[in-house]
Amino acid sequence: MKKKTRASRWASCTILTLVAAVWVLPIVWAVFTSFKTETEIKTKGFGFLPKVWTTENYINILQNTDNAPIVRWFLNSMFMAVTVAVLSIIIVSLTAYGYSRLKFKYRDQLFYTIMAISLFPSVINIIPLYKIISVFDWVNNAMAMIIPGLGAVTNIFLVRQFSLGIPKEFDEAARIDGAGEWRIFTMVILPMLKPVLTVVALFSFTSVWNDFLWPTIVFNDVEKMPLTAGLQLLQGAYGGFQLGPILAAACIAMIPTFLLYLFAQKYFLQSMSLSAGVKG
Amino acid sequence: MKKTGTGNTDKNKRSRKAKGRLLPFAFIGPHLILFTIFVLIPIIYGLVISFTRWDFINSPVWAGLENYREILFNRESTYHIQFMDGLKNTLLFVVLNVPVSILVPLLFALLLNMKPRGSKIFQSILYLPTLFSISAVGIIWMQMLNKRFGLISMFGVKHSVTTTYPYVWIALIIMSVWWTMGTNMVIYQAALSGVSKDLYESAELDGAGALKRIWYIALPSIRFQLLYTLVITVAGSFNVYGQPLMLTQQGVGGAPKVNVLIMYIKNLAFGSGQSIAGMASAMAIILGAFILVVSFIQFRLVSKDE
Repeated sequence: MKKKTRASRWASCTILTLVAAVWVLPIVWAVFTSFKTETEIKTKGFGFLPKVWTTENYINILQNTDNAPIVRWFLNSMFMAVTVAVLSIIIVSLTAYGYSRLKFKYRDQLFYTIMAISLFPSVINIIPLYKIISVFDWVNNAMAMIIPGLGAVTNIFLVRQFSLGIPKEFDEAARIDGAGEWRIFTMVILPMLKPVLTVVALFSFTSVWNDFLWPTIVFNDVEKMPLTAGLQLLQGAYGGFQLGPILAAACIAMIPTFLLYLFAQKYFLQSMSLSAGVKG
Repeated sequence: MKKTGTGNTDKNKRSRKAKGRLLPFAFIGPHLILFTIFVLIPIIYGLVISFTRWDFINSPVWAGLENYREILFNRESTYHIQFMDGLKNTLLFVVLNVPVSILVPLLFALLLNMKPRGSKIFQSILYLPTLFSISAVGIIWMQMLNKRFGLISMFGVKHSVTTTYPYVWIALIIMSVWWTMGTNMVIYQAALSGVSKDLYESAELDGAGALKRIWYIALPSIRFQLLYTLVITVAGSFNVYGQPLMLTQQGVGGAPKVNVLIMYIKNLAFGSGQSIAGMASAMAIILGAFILVVSFIQFRLVSKDE
């Protein structure tokens, strides 16, 4: 029987090696091609690896401040994503604490009502949300990317669930020692929520960094838009006739989330099972 | 509500009580306000707007069911034609994308669950594309599928994949699965690793083969996760927008080959020319209702099973 499992392990290893090779192919191809010269890209019968490594595509795209200010877009995106990550931690931890550890009338009913409302498909919201944003004068403004998402409920649900698992004795002990609600929150519960709040921060950052539909609606000023909306314009500005710079831009856009993944992989992977495993 | 208090002590008590009652609001209040302005009001607002003629600038004019009638039944209307085209493509995407987006990650998760050497690395690689934005992913695939200089030209493909049926659909689905399946895979994987080893072993002693063990033990054990991912994947597929936009838009200002509902909704509301936000809202409501009904049916079907 042992032999059999070993054989099946070998089989799965072989299949997975092939699959993984196919899976990274687009990304590896894009990275290699972005380091090729434009002539080499357009020459028939080229190889997978660049014959001559060049950074001309990166220099070309980074120096274009005219119709594709990619550095500006990168900084815009970074500002939006970091701000959302920080604000999310604050709002989500406060709210989840309120719905899990404070006692007040209709607490759970209120939470489940909010939860149910938030499950309405978000297509319905886009048009009215744009109107609300324009009333606040946030069209072409980073606020449009930062504030509305803070009303979401999913992350609060996740953290609330986590917080419900912390035994009541912790608060009670602190309360006997004379600690107020704020102290209990900051000194007792918050440190225990750290792992799940890390997940919230990572996901908030990634979702803002990668958001596509909404920024293409609220931004038409090239200087103000985030990278995702900018890249779509780039497809029009370069697409079809210059492959190198546009692939270089795509690679630049992938760097931040890739680095986060490299250093915090376990949080990314465990968050998924957290969100699906609540009832399972 | 004016009631005269009796003395200071009572007042103090009451103010402390009021403070105690306000305390939860200090925690949940900020979110409650954000939720109301950016989630609750837009839903109600969107519903109301769908019954009006509105261009974002002037005040909406009540139109009753006119928008819905126009979209659903007026065969002459361009809105009806756009809606039917968008609906056709969106539904086709759902039908093609959902089964693949469930089966492929399930297969990978089952393979990873055999814990072969290097399974951690395989998992990292397979999850990787999920981290990137659709604009970056779309650019890469668009260029990769470029028939003259792209990766496919190395393999001797002569078709212009992103402009010819049915290749454009095949490419669209492959790219979508490549981009999104990581999430489902990790969910299945976590669930599978929680299934007790004893169950497998006793089944093996009873002479159950690998396929039987998967069918009778593994899949029933991750039933809830399968339902969860099914609902999420179906809803996500109805909301498809970025993939066809990035992949099938041809060069400068070209119209996408595959037009989905959200594209039409976006163009009606935010496109160049006068906005027809009321009509677009009605389309959004119809799409939203579709998603809600389908999710509900899925839940009912599965909970009946129990």
